[in-house]
Amino acid sequence: MIQLFNVGKIYNNGVPALHSVSVKIPSGDFVYITGSSGAGKSTLLRLLYCAEKPSRGQILMGGRNTTRLKPRDIAMLRRDIGFVFQDFKLLNNRSVFENVALPLQVQNLPRQEIASRVYQVLQYVGLEYKLRRTPLELSGGEQQRVAVARAMVVNPRLLLADEPTGNLDHDLAVEIMEMFKRINEAGTTVMVATHDQEILQQFPARTLTLHDGNITSDSAPPPEDDNEEEV
Amino acid sequence: MEKIRYFFRRTLLSMRQSPLLCTATIGTVAVALMLLAFFGLIVMNIQNLAREWSRDIQVVVYIDQVPSEEKLKEWIDQIEHYPNVEKVHYISQQQAFERFRKRLGQNADLLDGLMPEILPAALEISLSEQARSRAGTEQLVKLLKSNNNFHKFRYGQEWLQRYDAFIFLLRLIGSMAGGFLIFATLFIISNTIKLTIYARREELEIMGLIGATPMFIKAPFMAEGALQGAIGALLALGGCHLLYYFFLKKGLTALLTTTAAANIHFLPLSYQLGMVLLGLILGFIASLLPLRKFVRL
Repeated sequence: MIQLFNVGKIYNNGVPALHSVSVKIPSGDFVYITGSSGAGKSTLLRLLYCAEKPSRGQILMGGRNTTRLKPRDIAMLRRDIGFVFQDFKLLNNRSVFENVALPLQVQNLPRQEIASRVYQVLQYVGLEYKLRRTPLELSGGEQQRVAVARAMVVNPRLLLADEPTGNLDHDLAVEIMEMFKRINEAGTTVMVATHDQEILQQFPARTLTLHDGNITSDSAPPPEDDNEEEV
Repeated sequence: MEKIRYFFRRTLLSMRQSPLLCTATIGTVAVALMLLAFFGLIVMNIQNLAREWSRDIQVVVYIDQVPSEEKLKEWIDQIEHYPNVEKVHYISQQQAFERFRKRLGQNADLLDGLMPEILPAALEISLSEQARSRAGTEQLVKLLKSNNNFHKFRYGQEWLQRYDAFIFLLRLIGSMAGGFLIFATLFIISNTIKLTIYARREELEIMGLIGATPMFIKAPFMAEGALQGAIGALLALGGCHLLYYFFLKKGLTALLTTTAAANIHFLPLSYQLGMVLLGLILGFIASLLPLRKFVRL
């Protein structure tokens, strides 16, 4: 369970990014965060993975207040979180295998276990035959699949995705969203920041709409039958 | 164990994966340290040369009346107990005469028919290394003057003045240029490594996102910086040795006498090890400083 209580964020230049956000996200939920550019979507995600500290309010993750964690505890918290970004954030001088293995090496797991888990997850995203390639030798869709594999390899409790389909064409975006759905069905809480309305309609889920740093709506997905008719 | 193996592999791999950055860093460290090492080499050799010259600094006390053996022994004992006296050597009139004859060389026949008594006997007093200066000799002469038997002294006042001025200048230039070079070396190395780390800041960010602790992120970078510093220092010593061999040893042998050229030496082993250690420490510290800025979870 993730809980935000009156969370506000003002950056050093004095610009307020979030005003007073309060929201509860139960474990295993699939949540979209949407809104126009500058609405505060990325800031909200950054607060969740502790890249920023809130200017006010409290954030609880699994009952633990994350606003006052030490660097080492932040690192431990992030080991339970998978990240997917619009610009993939892959290390271009390392192979696909090394990129996906990185979160497991950080956790100091034995090499054999790392190898087998990386291979399994690469099979899952359909890239096991490209494990020796570097990201720059892959297409945008493939790079994003590597990023998803890197997020999945630790079996995260939470997956955060910031505009994950922003650099992809529609078919690839659908492919990535289907992966997120499957990850969510396996029990991982998934939060996706996006302003892609097509994706929101095609994969309906609870949607938090942000506007000027405030949540202006928190809508549940329409009933599944209606949804199927629409599709 | 797994972690150490990872750090070791990561350090070497990362140097292989970014060959351009790595070469640029090692090259810059090597050039900067080579300048420092070559400067040190020149200063060290000039100091050695000055030390050689300073061996000639001595106070000569001329003795009008040749004393009895007992008296002479007493004087020598007394002088040897003065501070900063290294050695006291008695030159009899006969020895002085022979020496003079030798110095006259082809004109030695001028002394034919003369007796050794025309020259005074003398006590030649050598000073310890730290007292080989104008102040040191004057202090000794002052003490010698307290003995009423000693009236005439010779200690090359003018030469000493010039020697003192030369040593002062050498120390001034050495410390100023040396200080500037050390500062420049530190500046160049730390900025090069800072730029290298800046170029890889995304890697630092990604490592932080996937749950690496600050130490886990920093360790391979610090090891890499230290290794690059040490390799740069080894290359600097190699380059410095080439400069030494071709410019100092071979070049100067053609200009100077063989003895003077034979006195030119390369940096001793302890300096060489110190240089490698300096490169290692500089690389380590230069990595640590920007990492503190870039690795923030």
